[in-house]
Amino acid sequence: MSAQSKAAEKVARLFFKLSVEGGAVSAERVAGILAYIERHRPANPLIVLRSYHRLIAAELARGRAVVEHSGAAPEALLQSIAEAMTRRYRRPVTAISRPNPALIAGLRVRVGDDVYESSIAARLSTLSTAN
Amino acid sequence: MSSVLEQIEQQIAQLSTKAVRKNVGTIRTIADGVAKVDGLSDVMYNEMVQFPGDAIGIALNLEEDEVGCVILGDIAKLKEGDEVTTTGKLLSVPVGKGLLGRAVDSLGRPLDGKGPINSTEAYPVEKIAPGIVVRKPVTQALFTGIMAIDSMIPIGRGQRELIIGDRGTGKTTIAIDTIINQARINKVGLASGDPKFRPVYSIYVAIGQKNSNIVRTMSALEAAGALEFTIIVVAAAADNPANQYVAPYAGAAIGEWFMDNGMDALIVYDDLSKHAVAYRQISLILKRPSGREAYPGDVFYLHSRLLERAARLDGKGSLTALPIIETLAGDVSAYIPTNVISITDGQIFLETDLFNQGVRPAVSVGLSVSRVGSAAQIKATKQVAGKLKGELAQFRELAAFAQFGSDLDPKTKAQLDRGSRIVELFKQPALNPIPIELQVATLWAMQKGYYDELDLKRVTAAAVSLREHFSTRHDALLSKIRTKASLDAELEAGLKAACDEWKSTFAA
Ligand SMILES: Nc1ncnc2c1ncn2[C@@H]1O[C@H](COP(=O)(O)OP(=O)(O)OP(=O)(O)O)[C@@H](O)[C@H]1O
Ligand SMILES: [Mg+2]
Repeated sequence: MSAQSKAAEKVARLFFKLSVEGGAVSAERVAGILAYIERHRPANPLIVLRSYHRLIAAELARGRAVVEHSGAAPEALLQSIAEAMTRRYRRPVTAISRPNPALIAGLRVRVGDDVYESSIAARLSTLSTAN
Repeated sequence: MSSVLEQIEQQIAQLSTKAVRKNVGTIRTIADGVAKVDGLSDVMYNEMVQFPGDAIGIALNLEEDEVGCVILGDIAKLKEGDEVTTTGKLLSVPVGKGLLGRAVDSLGRPLDGKGPINSTEAYPVEKIAPGIVVRKPVTQALFTGIMAIDSMIPIGRGQRELIIGDRGTGKTTIAIDTIINQARINKVGLASGDPKFRPVYSIYVAIGQKNSNIVRTMSALEAAGALEFTIIVVAAAADNPANQYVAPYAGAAIGEWFMDNGMDALIVYDDLSKHAVAYRQISLILKRPSGREAYPGDVFYLHSRLLERAARLDGKGSLTALPIIETLAGDVSAYIPTNVISITDGQIFLETDLFNQGVRPAVSVGLSVSRVGSAAQIKATKQVAGKLKGELAQFRELAAFAQFGSDLDPKTKAQLDRGSRIVELFKQPALNPIPIELQVATLWAMQKGYYDELDLKRVTAAAVSLREHFSTRHDALLSKIRTKASLDAELEAGLKAACDEWKSTFAA
């Protein structure tokens, strides 16, 4: 990483910190930051914006459980996953559904970097990697 | 009633589909065997991470919002955006006797086409070295089969002795000779049925070498029948730097298994200069700050934590290390040589000048030292070689004067004459280790002046012929020297009779 992009990352991190309000990303603040960048043009705006995007995306992912399901996920299931994850991570977590026929049966839930799998496909793959 | 059963069945189903939790990330960039990964927020330092396909990575750089991983295995198929998963495990390799006779890569996967490795146990590649309390002083010899080393720079089990010299000075040959010698001693010892006999198993780690050199080494070991006691760990020059970085630690883990299970092992790192270069390359890609000679600041720790793992453990076995370092123009004050010299218990210094003059092995006796090995030297060798190192050092000094003319006093002349005979005596062809009892006989004859009247050029040949004479006609005497390990009046009388007998045949 060059010194330039290091500095840009630092700026992006600062913007990111300013975008979080009460432990959650605030849409209003993000709009404000974007307007600020537009007006004041920090050095290397492209790098700043890309890193900012990555940081915000990671933060949003931590508050969202993406539930992959072979069929359509019933609303009650999404609800109970959201509750379980909220308890587990001690922060508000909402659940959204994403159909994935490749899972055969069962679930795959992703919150931030953590992936929970109870699908048949996952069990087959743990079986095949166990030796 | 059926609803009760259903409830139980549901519970069983829930238990058996219990979710597995993984921590994942995605590749942000990938270049030269190093991937920068987004995510992996739970990863530990040095943890193994799984890339798609067969590739395994090690998390080396943990930064605020990215993780730097070196990748072992095929990186050609990996691309940006690929998913990476933590494994919760530290990198480990298979260990055990099933590896003997095999050639494996840095992850312990077979490279020799001889089928899967027969192993039930794995050891972590990185391990904290044994503490001081459990270590025992070095007291048991490890014979290299090289007369100049066993008599003047003796090595003991659990010692770390550096082999250092320029390109092509015979560094690898010394290590290979030592491995071959262990195999020969093992065969004799195991056949004798002596319950106290302790075989030495060897591990040869080839780092950053050309494949042609590795093949040459392996066929030399095979031809000498040493493969069955040897494990070869290969990370060739064409391998990516991560594999070269890990190889010596993998070898150390394989060696530690022998030590932990009460056995003795020898490990050769050929060579740590190339290892440091691989590590420098990785560090540069990871953008770590660099210092002297562009090496990262922790390059000292790179080798100290590796060599500290060689030891002799109380109540267990030992691991002897022979690291190899290549110098440029004999410069031992460069960064990596000074570091490794300060970590080891001594060094065998090989000189290009000597090598070119035909003094081979090209051991510089003045600059070589073994700081702990003399406690391990057997008494018989001490009896016949005690003064040789001093005499040779003196000879080197006097030889500088000798070129100034012929008016040397008779005493100096005699010293010079004796010195040049010792030099001839220590010449020894490659891949030809000499058993310790034959070394004792050769040096005893020197001590008693058996080579004094010979033409200087015939001394090397005389020693060869003397050893042949002993091994064909005085086997019983040789076994006695080996088992008693010290010379008494009876053995000396035997040596005298045998040498007299030889002398009459050789002079004729
Ligand atoms: N004692 C010896 N007598 C005769 N030839 C020898 C002896 N030792 C080594 N040689 C020869 O010298 C050459 C170089 O030896 P070797 O490969 O062991 O050196 P090296 O220092 O490991 O070289 P490199 O720097 O290439 O790794 C080889 O051809 C080897 O056969
Ligand atoms: Mg070599």
